[in-house]
Amino acid sequence: MSRSINDYWYPVGLLSGIDAPHATLLLGADITVGRTHSAYWVTDAAGKALPTIKRFGHLWTCPGTPMDDLFTIPEADTAGRQLVDVGSVRVKCSPLRAVENFLDIAHFPFVHTDILGAEPHTEVARYNVDIREDANEVWATKVKFFQPQAAKSAEGGITTEYMYRVASPTCAVLYKTCPPRPGEWDVITLFVQPLNEEWCEVWPWMALYDDDSTMAEMVSFQQLIFMQDRSILENQIPTKLPLDPGMEVPTQADLTSIAYRRWLKKIGYTYGAQLVAA
Amino acid sequence: MDWVAVGLCEDVPARTVVPRRVQNTDLAIWCSTAGVFHAWGDRCPHRGMRLSHGFVRGETLSCIYHGWTYDGDGACVSIPAHPDLTPPKSICAAQYACRVQDGTIWVALQPTQAAVPELGARRAIRSLAVQLSAETLATRLKQPFGPVITLGGAHDIALAVQPSTDTDCLLHAFAAPDQDRKAVSLALEHLRDELEAAA
Ligand code: FES
Ligand SMILES: [Fe+2]
Repeated sequence: MSRSINDYWYPVGLLSGIDAPHATLLLGADITVGRTHSAYWVTDAAGKALPTIKRFGHLWTCPGTPMDDLFTIPEADTAGRQLVDVGSVRVKCSPLRAVENFLDIAHFPFVHTDILGAEPHTEVARYNVDIREDANEVWATKVKFFQPQAAKSAEGGITTEYMYRVASPTCAVLYKTCPPRPGEWDVITLFVQPLNEEWCEVWPWMALYDDDSTMAEMVSFQQLIFMQDRSILENQIPTKLPLDPGMEVPTQADLTSIAYRRWLKKIGYTYGAQLVAA
Repeated sequence: MDWVAVGLCEDVPARTVVPRRVQNTDLAIWCSTAGVFHAWGDRCPHRGMRLSHGFVRGETLSCIYHGWTYDGDGACVSIPAHPDLTPPKSICAAQYACRVQDGTIWVALQPTQAAVPELGARRAIRSLAVQLSAETLATRLKQPFGPVITLGGAHDIALAVQPSTDTDCLLHAFAAPDQDRKAVSLALEHLRDELEAAA
Protein backbone atom coordinates (compact mmCIF):
# COMPACT_ATOMS: atom_id res chain seq x y z
CA MET A 1 0.00 0.00 0.00
CA SER A 2 1.32 3.44 -0.80
CA ARG A 3 1.95 5.76 2.06
CA SER A 4 0.18 9.06 2.48
CA ILE A 5 1.92 12.24 1.37
CA ASN A 6 1.72 13.31 5.02
CA ASP A 7 4.06 10.53 6.09
CA TYR A 8 7.19 11.91 4.40
CA TRP A 9 9.73 14.32 5.89
CA TYR A 10 9.77 17.84 4.45
CA PRO A 11 12.21 20.76 4.90
CA VAL A 12 10.64 23.82 6.51
CA GLY A 13 13.56 26.14 7.24
CA LEU A 14 17.29 26.73 7.57
CA LEU A 15 18.42 26.10 11.14
CA SER A 16 20.53 29.25 10.91
CA GLY A 17 17.46 31.23 9.80
CA ILE A 18 14.82 30.14 12.32
CA ASP A 19 14.22 32.52 15.19
CA ALA A 20 10.88 34.19 15.97
CA PRO A 21 7.87 31.95 15.17
CA HIS A 22 6.85 32.25 11.55
CA ALA A 23 3.84 30.97 9.69
CA THR A 24 4.23 28.99 6.50
CA LEU A 25 2.43 26.29 4.51
CA LEU A 26 3.08 22.60 4.12
CA LEU A 27 0.97 20.55 1.70
CA GLY A 28 -1.63 23.31 1.71
CA ALA A 29 -1.96 23.40 5.52
CA ASP A 30 -0.88 26.16 7.87
CA ILE A 31 2.09 25.38 10.11
CA THR A 32 4.24 27.48 12.42
CA VAL A 33 8.01 27.08 12.67
CA GLY A 34 9.99 28.48 15.60
CA ARG A 35 12.78 28.10 18.14
CA THR A 36 12.74 28.35 21.90
CA HIS A 37 16.35 28.75 23.07
CA SER A 38 18.07 25.86 21.30
CA ALA A 39 14.92 23.78 20.73
CA TYR A 40 13.40 23.94 17.27
CA TRP A 41 9.70 23.19 16.90
CA VAL A 42 6.89 22.99 14.34
CA THR A 43 3.17 23.11 15.14
CA ASP A 44 0.14 22.46 12.96
CA ALA A 45 -2.89 24.78 12.63
CA ALA A 46 -4.41 23.31 15.82
CA GLY A 47 -1.23 24.01 17.77
CA LYS A 48 -0.20 20.36 17.95
CA ALA A 49 3.56 19.73 17.93
CA LEU A 50 4.83 17.89 14.85
CA PRO A 51 7.89 15.63 14.87
CA THR A 52 11.15 17.32 13.81
CA ILE A 53 14.63 16.35 12.65
CA LYS A 54 17.65 18.62 12.29
CA ARG A 55 19.77 17.55 9.33
CA PHE A 56 21.73 19.06 6.43
CA GLY A 57 21.48 22.51 8.01
CA HIS A 58 17.68 22.41 7.79
CA LEU A 59 14.75 21.70 10.05
CA TRP A 60 12.49 18.89 8.80
CA THR A 61 9.00 17.94 9.81
CA CYS A 62 6.38 15.32 9.05
CA PRO A 63 2.69 16.23 9.32
CA GLY A 64 1.60 12.57 9.51
CA THR A 65 3.30 9.49 10.91
CA PRO A 66 6.92 9.21 9.75
CA MET A 67 7.40 5.71 8.42
CA ASP A 68 11.17 5.78 8.55
CA ASP A 69 14.12 8.05 9.25
CA LEU A 70 14.93 10.94 6.95
CA PHE A 71 17.49 9.84 4.33
CA THR A 72 21.19 10.48 4.93
CA ILE A 73 23.98 11.71 2.67
CA PRO A 74 27.12 10.00 4.01
CA GLU A 75 29.36 11.72 1.42
CA ALA A 76 28.44 15.12 2.87
CA ASP A 77 29.89 14.17 6.25
CA THR A 78 33.50 13.78 5.10
CA ALA A 79 35.88 16.34 6.58
CA GLY A 80 37.04 19.42 4.77
CA ARG A 81 33.79 20.33 3.02
CA GLN A 82 32.19 23.72 3.09
CA LEU A 83 28.54 23.38 4.07
CA VAL A 84 26.64 26.08 2.23
CA ASP A 85 23.22 27.25 3.41
CA VAL A 86 21.96 28.77 0.19
CA GLY A 87 18.62 30.03 1.56
CA SER A 88 15.27 29.64 -0.09
CA VAL A 89 13.48 30.63 -3.26
CA ARG A 90 9.70 30.60 -3.63
CA VAL A 91 8.59 29.30 -6.98
CA LYS A 92 5.12 29.26 -8.51
CA CYS A 93 5.25 25.71 -9.79
CA SER A 94 4.52 22.17 -8.72
CA PRO A 95 7.09 20.81 -6.23
CA LEU A 96 7.53 17.88 -8.60
CA ARG A 97 8.35 20.16 -11.56
CA ALA A 98 11.07 21.77 -9.40
CA VAL A 99 12.64 18.37 -8.65
CA GLU A 100 12.39 17.21 -12.25
CA ASN A 101 14.16 20.33 -13.50
CA PHE A 102 16.97 19.68 -11.00
CA LEU A 103 17.43 16.20 -12.53
CA ASP A 104 17.76 17.59 -16.05
CA ILE A 105 21.07 18.39 -17.77
CA ALA A 106 19.88 19.01 -21.34
CA HIS A 107 18.82 22.55 -20.41
CA PHE A 108 22.28 23.67 -19.25
CA PRO A 109 23.43 25.26 -22.56
CA PHE A 110 20.16 27.18 -22.97
CA VAL A 111 19.19 28.18 -19.44
CA HIS A 112 22.61 28.38 -17.74
CA THR A 113 24.40 29.61 -20.86
CA ASP A 114 28.21 29.84 -20.57
CA ILE A 115 28.10 28.66 -16.96
CA LEU A 116 26.86 25.06 -16.84
CA GLY A 117 26.69 24.57 -20.60
CA ALA A 118 27.19 26.23 -23.97
CA GLU A 119 26.37 25.57 -27.59
CA PRO A 120 27.55 23.63 -29.56
CA HIS A 121 28.24 21.21 -26.66
CA THR A 122 24.59 20.19 -26.29
CA GLU A 123 24.73 16.43 -26.71
CA VAL A 124 23.58 14.27 -23.81
CA ALA A 125 25.32 10.91 -23.98
CA ARG A 126 23.53 7.79 -22.82
CA TYR A 127 23.63 7.30 -19.05
CA ASN A 128 22.27 4.75 -16.60
CA VAL A 129 19.06 5.07 -14.65
CA ASP A 130 17.56 2.73 -12.14
CA ILE A 131 14.83 2.61 -9.56
CA ARG A 132 16.45 1.02 -6.50
CA GLU A 133 13.75 -1.05 -4.90
CA ASP A 134 15.69 -1.68 -1.67
CA ALA A 135 16.20 1.98 -0.87
CA ASN A 136 13.11 3.16 -2.76
CA GLU A 137 15.16 5.76 -4.60
CA VAL A 138 15.77 6.77 -8.21
CA TRP A 139 19.40 6.98 -9.36
CA ALA A 140 21.02 8.23 -12.55
CA THR A 141 24.70 7.46 -12.93
CA LYS A 142 27.50 7.98 -15.48
CA VAL A 143 25.92 11.24 -16.57
CA LYS A 144 28.55 13.26 -18.45
CA PHE A 145 28.27 16.78 -19.81
CA PHE A 146 30.59 19.51 -21.07
CA GLN A 147 30.58 22.57 -18.84
CA PRO A 148 32.27 25.92 -19.59
CA GLN A 149 32.42 26.78 -15.86
CA ALA A 150 31.40 23.77 -13.80
CA ALA A 151 31.59 25.45 -10.41
CA LYS A 152 32.85 28.58 -8.73
CA SER A 153 36.22 26.83 -8.38
CA ALA A 154 36.41 25.66 -12.01
CA GLU A 155 38.63 27.47 -14.52
CA GLY A 156 37.65 26.96 -18.15
CA GLY A 157 35.64 24.14 -19.68
CA ILE A 158 35.69 20.51 -18.54
CA THR A 159 33.63 17.40 -19.01
CA THR A 160 31.87 16.92 -15.71
CA GLU A 161 30.47 13.66 -14.42
CA TYR A 162 27.34 13.56 -12.30
CA MET A 163 25.15 11.20 -10.36
CA TYR A 164 21.59 12.11 -9.52
CA ARG A 165 19.68 10.62 -6.65
CA VAL A 166 16.00 11.15 -5.83
CA ALA A 167 16.00 10.39 -2.12
CA SER A 168 12.37 11.28 -1.46
CA PRO A 169 9.57 12.57 -3.73
CA THR A 170 10.50 16.22 -3.17
CA CYS A 171 14.23 15.90 -2.44
CA ALA A 172 17.09 15.21 -4.82
CA VAL A 173 20.86 15.02 -4.44
CA LEU A 174 23.38 15.75 -7.15
CA TYR A 175 26.90 14.34 -6.91
CA LYS A 176 29.29 16.13 -9.18
CA THR A 177 32.95 15.85 -10.17
CA CYS A 178 34.92 18.06 -7.88
CA PRO A 179 37.55 20.14 -9.75
CA PRO A 180 40.04 20.62 -6.86
CA ARG A 181 39.73 16.99 -5.65
CA PRO A 182 39.61 14.37 -8.39
CA GLY A 183 38.05 11.22 -6.98
CA GLU A 184 35.68 13.04 -4.64
CA TRP A 185 32.15 14.25 -5.36
CA ASP A 186 30.74 17.65 -4.58
CA VAL A 187 27.26 17.35 -3.12
CA ILE A 188 24.49 19.73 -4.19
CA THR A 189 20.95 19.15 -3.03
CA LEU A 190 17.50 20.44 -3.77
CA PHE A 191 15.09 20.12 -0.87
CA VAL A 192 11.57 21.19 -1.80
CA GLN A 193 8.90 22.22 0.69
CA PRO A 194 5.52 21.83 -1.05
CA LEU A 195 3.53 24.92 0.03
CA ASN A 196 0.68 23.57 -2.07
CA GLU A 197 0.34 21.69 -5.34
CA GLU A 198 1.34 24.67 -7.46
CA TRP A 199 3.66 26.64 -5.18
CA CYS A 200 6.85 25.63 -3.45
CA GLU A 201 9.71 26.83 -1.32
CA VAL A 202 12.98 25.47 -2.64
CA TRP A 203 15.95 25.03 -0.27
CA PRO A 204 19.19 24.27 -2.13
CA TRP A 205 22.07 23.13 0.07
CA MET A 206 25.66 22.24 -0.78
CA ALA A 207 28.60 20.37 0.73
CA LEU A 208 31.58 21.33 -1.42
CA TYR A 209 35.34 21.07 -1.49
CA ASP A 210 36.24 24.63 -2.32
CA ASP A 211 39.03 26.42 -0.49
CA ASP A 212 39.16 29.41 -2.80
CA SER A 213 35.66 30.84 -2.86
CA THR A 214 34.07 32.71 -0.02
CA MET A 215 30.77 31.55 1.40
CA ALA A 216 29.07 34.61 -0.15
CA GLU A 217 30.49 33.73 -3.58
CA MET A 218 29.27 30.14 -3.39
CA VAL A 219 25.82 31.28 -2.28
CA SER A 220 25.47 33.85 -5.03
CA PHE A 221 26.69 31.40 -7.68
CA GLN A 222 24.00 28.91 -6.70
CA GLN A 223 21.35 31.62 -6.40
CA LEU A 224 22.13 32.87 -9.91
CA ILE A 225 21.72 29.31 -11.23
CA PHE A 226 18.45 28.89 -9.42
CA MET A 227 17.02 32.23 -10.60
CA GLN A 228 17.62 31.03 -14.15
CA ASP A 229 15.76 27.81 -13.34
CA ARG A 230 12.88 29.74 -11.82
CA SER A 231 12.28 31.61 -15.08
CA ILE A 232 11.61 28.20 -16.63
CA LEU A 233 9.65 26.65 -13.78
CA GLU A 234 7.10 29.44 -13.61
CA ASN A 235 6.38 29.18 -17.33
CA GLN A 236 5.68 25.51 -17.92
CA ILE A 237 2.17 24.50 -18.96
CA PRO A 238 0.52 22.82 -17.16
CA THR A 239 1.86 23.94 -13.77
CA LYS A 240 1.51 20.42 -12.38
CA LEU A 241 3.72 17.56 -13.52
CA PRO A 242 1.95 15.31 -16.06
CA LEU A 243 2.51 11.70 -14.93
CA ASP A 244 0.62 10.03 -17.76
CA PRO A 245 2.49 9.64 -21.02
CA GLY A 246 1.06 11.47 -24.02
CA MET A 247 1.04 15.05 -22.92
CA GLU A 248 4.79 15.61 -23.21
CA VAL A 249 7.45 14.06 -25.47
CA PRO A 250 10.50 12.62 -23.70
CA THR A 251 13.69 11.48 -25.45
CA GLN A 252 16.67 9.42 -24.34
CA ALA A 253 18.16 12.47 -22.60
CA ASP A 254 15.08 12.46 -20.34
CA LEU A 255 15.59 8.98 -18.89
CA THR A 256 15.90 10.38 -15.36
CA SER A 257 12.66 12.30 -15.72
CA ILE A 258 10.90 9.23 -17.14
CA ALA A 259 12.08 7.11 -14.19
CA TYR A 260 11.13 9.84 -11.68
CA ARG A 261 7.59 10.07 -13.08
CA ARG A 262 7.23 6.30 -13.20
CA TRP A 263 8.46 6.00 -9.61
CA LEU A 264 6.07 8.72 -8.36
CA LYS A 265 3.21 6.84 -9.96
CA LYS A 266 4.36 3.54 -8.50
CA ILE A 267 4.59 4.86 -4.95
CA GLY A 268 1.36 6.81 -5.39
CA TYR A 269 2.89 10.24 -4.78
CA THR A 270 0.57 12.39 -6.88
CA TYR A 271 0.55 15.66 -4.91
CA GLY A 272 1.52 18.28 -7.54
CA ALA A 273 0.95 15.81 -10.37
CA GLN A 274 -1.54 15.94 -13.22
CA LEU A 275 -2.98 12.54 -13.92
CA VAL A 276 -5.20 13.06 -16.94
CA ALA A 277 -4.25 15.00 -20.04
CA ALA A 278 -5.76 18.50 -19.88
CA MET B 1 -15.11 35.70 -34.24
CA ASP B 2 -13.17 34.20 -37.13
CA TRP B 3 -10.15 36.49 -37.32
CA VAL B 4 -8.83 38.23 -34.24
CA ALA B 5 -6.18 40.95 -34.30
CA VAL B 6 -3.31 40.05 -31.93
CA GLY B 7 -0.98 42.97 -32.45
CA LEU B 8 0.56 45.54 -34.72
CA CYS B 9 3.38 44.31 -36.94
CA GLU B 10 5.62 47.13 -35.71
CA ASP B 11 5.37 45.74 -32.16
CA VAL B 12 6.69 42.33 -33.26
CA PRO B 13 9.85 43.08 -35.25
CA ALA B 14 11.80 40.41 -37.14
CA ARG B 15 13.52 37.84 -34.85
CA THR B 16 11.17 38.42 -31.90
CA VAL B 17 8.48 36.39 -30.21
CA VAL B 18 5.74 37.67 -27.86
CA PRO B 19 3.02 36.05 -25.76
CA ARG B 20 -0.62 36.82 -26.59
CA ARG B 21 -3.88 35.40 -25.34
CA VAL B 22 -7.07 34.92 -27.38
CA GLN B 23 -10.18 33.63 -25.63
CA ASN B 24 -8.05 32.03 -22.92
CA THR B 25 -5.78 30.31 -25.44
CA ASP B 26 -2.10 31.15 -24.91
CA LEU B 27 -0.28 31.97 -28.12
CA ALA B 28 3.32 32.65 -29.12
CA ILE B 29 3.36 35.18 -31.96
CA TRP B 30 6.70 35.40 -33.72
CA CYS B 31 8.30 37.03 -36.72
CA SER B 32 11.08 35.28 -38.63
CA THR B 33 14.26 36.91 -39.90
CA ALA B 34 12.65 37.20 -43.35
CA GLY B 35 9.60 38.90 -41.78
CA VAL B 36 7.13 35.98 -41.86
CA PHE B 37 4.64 35.98 -38.97
CA HIS B 38 3.47 32.86 -37.14
CA ALA B 39 0.87 32.13 -34.44
CA TRP B 40 1.51 28.99 -32.39
CA GLY B 41 0.20 27.50 -29.21
CA ASP B 42 2.42 28.83 -26.42
CA ARG B 43 3.58 25.42 -25.28
CA CYS B 44 6.58 23.34 -26.30
CA PRO B 45 5.60 19.71 -26.87
CA HIS B 46 8.74 18.50 -25.09
CA ARG B 47 8.22 19.66 -21.51
CA GLY B 48 5.51 22.34 -21.74
CA MET B 49 7.74 25.45 -21.67
CA ARG B 50 6.18 28.61 -23.09
CA LEU B 51 7.50 29.07 -26.62
CA SER B 52 7.04 32.84 -26.23
CA HIS B 53 10.20 32.74 -24.05
CA GLY B 54 12.11 31.19 -26.95
CA PHE B 55 14.37 32.68 -29.60
CA VAL B 56 14.18 33.13 -33.36
CA ARG B 57 17.03 32.10 -35.62
CA GLY B 58 16.50 32.48 -39.35
CA GLU B 59 13.11 30.97 -40.19
CA THR B 60 12.92 28.85 -37.03
CA LEU B 61 11.76 29.29 -33.45
CA SER B 62 13.65 27.53 -30.65
CA CYS B 63 12.42 26.75 -27.16
CA ILE B 64 14.48 28.34 -24.40
CA TYR B 65 14.40 25.26 -22.15
CA HIS B 66 16.27 22.60 -24.17
CA GLY B 67 16.63 24.36 -27.50
CA TRP B 68 14.25 22.18 -29.52
CA THR B 69 13.87 24.00 -32.84
CA TYR B 70 10.73 24.23 -34.97
CA ASP B 71 10.52 25.26 -38.63
CA GLY B 72 7.93 27.59 -40.18
CA ASP B 73 5.43 24.72 -40.40
CA GLY B 74 5.74 24.01 -36.67
CA ALA B 75 7.67 20.75 -37.22
CA CYS B 76 10.50 19.98 -34.83
CA VAL B 77 13.73 19.94 -36.84
CA SER B 78 16.38 19.75 -34.14
CA ILE B 79 16.81 18.29 -30.66
CA PRO B 80 20.18 19.58 -29.42
CA ALA B 81 20.58 16.81 -26.82
CA HIS B 82 20.63 14.36 -29.76
CA PRO B 83 22.36 16.21 -32.60
CA ASP B 84 22.42 13.16 -34.90
CA LEU B 85 18.74 12.37 -34.51
CA THR B 86 16.17 13.38 -37.12
CA PRO B 87 13.15 14.26 -34.97
CA PRO B 88 10.02 12.23 -35.75
CA LYS B 89 7.47 14.09 -37.86
CA SER B 90 4.92 13.71 -35.08
CA ILE B 91 6.66 16.31 -32.91
CA CYS B 92 5.21 19.69 -33.78
CA ALA B 93 3.97 22.89 -32.21
CA ALA B 94 0.25 23.72 -32.40
CA GLN B 95 -0.24 26.11 -35.31
CA TYR B 96 -2.97 28.62 -36.02
CA ALA B 97 -3.79 30.49 -39.21
CA CYS B 98 -1.99 33.83 -39.24
CA ARG B 99 -2.31 36.72 -41.73
CA VAL B 100 -0.94 40.20 -42.01
CA GLN B 101 -3.17 42.99 -43.28
CA ASP B 102 -3.17 46.75 -42.60
CA GLY B 103 0.03 46.47 -40.56
CA THR B 104 -1.80 44.14 -38.20
CA ILE B 105 -1.34 40.48 -37.25
CA TRP B 106 -4.56 38.45 -37.45
CA VAL B 107 -5.12 34.97 -36.05
CA ALA B 108 -7.95 32.45 -36.46
CA LEU B 109 -8.22 29.84 -33.70
CA GLN B 110 -10.59 27.73 -35.85
CA PRO B 111 -10.14 27.05 -39.56
CA THR B 112 -12.15 29.65 -41.46
CA GLN B 113 -13.10 30.69 -45.00
CA ALA B 114 -13.90 34.22 -43.86
CA ALA B 115 -11.92 37.21 -45.09
CA VAL B 116 -9.75 39.20 -42.70
CA PRO B 117 -11.75 42.26 -41.52
CA GLU B 118 -11.16 45.55 -43.33
CA LEU B 119 -9.98 48.60 -41.42
CA GLY B 120 -10.59 51.11 -44.23
CA ALA B 121 -8.06 53.78 -45.12
CA ARG B 122 -6.76 54.10 -41.57
CA ARG B 123 -3.31 53.67 -40.09
CA ALA B 124 -2.28 51.75 -36.99
CA ILE B 125 -1.86 53.91 -33.88
CA ARG B 126 -1.22 51.62 -30.93
CA SER B 127 -2.46 48.69 -28.82
CA LEU B 128 -3.90 49.14 -25.34
CA ALA B 129 -5.20 46.78 -22.68
CA VAL B 130 -8.69 47.22 -21.22
CA GLN B 131 -9.98 45.44 -18.14
CA LEU B 132 -13.34 44.51 -19.62
CA SER B 133 -14.64 41.53 -21.54
CA ALA B 134 -15.03 42.11 -25.27
CA GLU B 135 -18.83 41.81 -24.84
CA THR B 136 -18.98 44.40 -22.06
CA LEU B 137 -16.73 46.68 -24.05
CA ALA B 138 -19.08 46.55 -27.07
CA THR B 139 -22.12 47.12 -24.84
CA ARG B 140 -20.57 50.16 -23.18
CA LEU B 141 -19.59 51.55 -26.57
CA LYS B 142 -23.19 50.88 -27.73
CA GLN B 143 -21.78 48.96 -30.69
CA PRO B 144 -22.45 45.49 -32.06
CA PHE B 145 -20.01 42.85 -30.74
CA GLY B 146 -17.44 41.89 -33.36
CA PRO B 147 -13.75 41.73 -34.28
CA VAL B 148 -13.73 45.40 -35.36
CA ILE B 149 -15.64 48.29 -33.80
CA THR B 150 -15.83 51.47 -35.84
CA LEU B 151 -16.18 54.57 -33.68
CA GLY B 152 -15.59 57.26 -36.29
CA GLY B 153 -15.54 60.71 -34.69
CA ALA B 154 -13.01 63.48 -35.32
CA HIS B 155 -10.11 60.98 -35.49
CA ASP B 156 -12.15 58.37 -37.41
CA ILE B 157 -11.11 55.66 -34.94
CA ALA B 158 -11.57 51.92 -35.52
CA LEU B 159 -10.75 49.33 -32.86
CA ALA B 160 -9.75 45.74 -33.57
CA VAL B 161 -10.75 43.85 -30.43
CA GLN B 162 -8.69 40.96 -29.08
CA PRO B 163 -10.68 39.15 -26.37
CA SER B 164 -7.82 37.91 -24.14
CA THR B 165 -9.68 36.34 -21.22
CA ASP B 166 -13.22 36.51 -19.84
CA THR B 167 -12.32 39.79 -18.11
CA ASP B 168 -9.71 41.43 -20.33
CA CYS B 169 -9.20 42.49 -23.86
CA LEU B 170 -6.49 44.14 -25.90
CA LEU B 171 -7.53 46.88 -28.32
CA HIS B 172 -5.59 47.60 -31.49
CA ALA B 173 -6.48 51.11 -32.58
CA PHE B 174 -6.51 52.73 -36.00
CA ALA B 175 -7.30 56.28 -37.13
CA ALA B 176 -7.45 58.45 -40.23
CA PRO B 177 -3.94 58.87 -41.70
CA ASP B 178 -3.90 62.65 -41.21
CA GLN B 179 -4.54 62.44 -37.47
CA ASP B 180 -1.82 63.18 -34.94
CA ARG B 181 -0.66 59.94 -33.30
CA LYS B 182 -0.15 61.49 -29.89
CA ALA B 183 -3.56 63.16 -29.86
CA VAL B 184 -5.31 59.92 -30.88
CA SER B 185 -3.33 57.97 -28.32
CA LEU B 186 -4.43 60.36 -25.55
CA ALA B 187 -8.04 60.21 -26.70
CA LEU B 188 -7.85 56.41 -26.53
CA GLU B 189 -6.54 56.46 -22.97
CA HIS B 190 -9.39 58.74 -21.91
CA LEU B 191 -11.88 56.48 -23.62
CA ARG B 192 -10.41 53.44 -21.87
CA ASP B 193 -10.60 55.13 -18.44
CA GLU B 194 -14.24 56.10 -19.07
CA LEU B 195 -15.22 52.64 -20.22
CA GLU B 196 -13.54 50.91 -17.27
CA ALA B 197 -15.16 53.33 -14.83
CA ALA B 198 -18.68 53.09 -16.32
CA ALA B 199 -20.86 50.84 -14.20
S1 FES C 1 10.51 22.16 -23.09
FE1 FES C 1 10.93 23.01 -25.01
S2 FES C 1 12.78 22.11 -25.54
FE2 FES C 1 12.30 21.14 -23.68
FE1 LIG D 1 18.92 24.39 -14.10
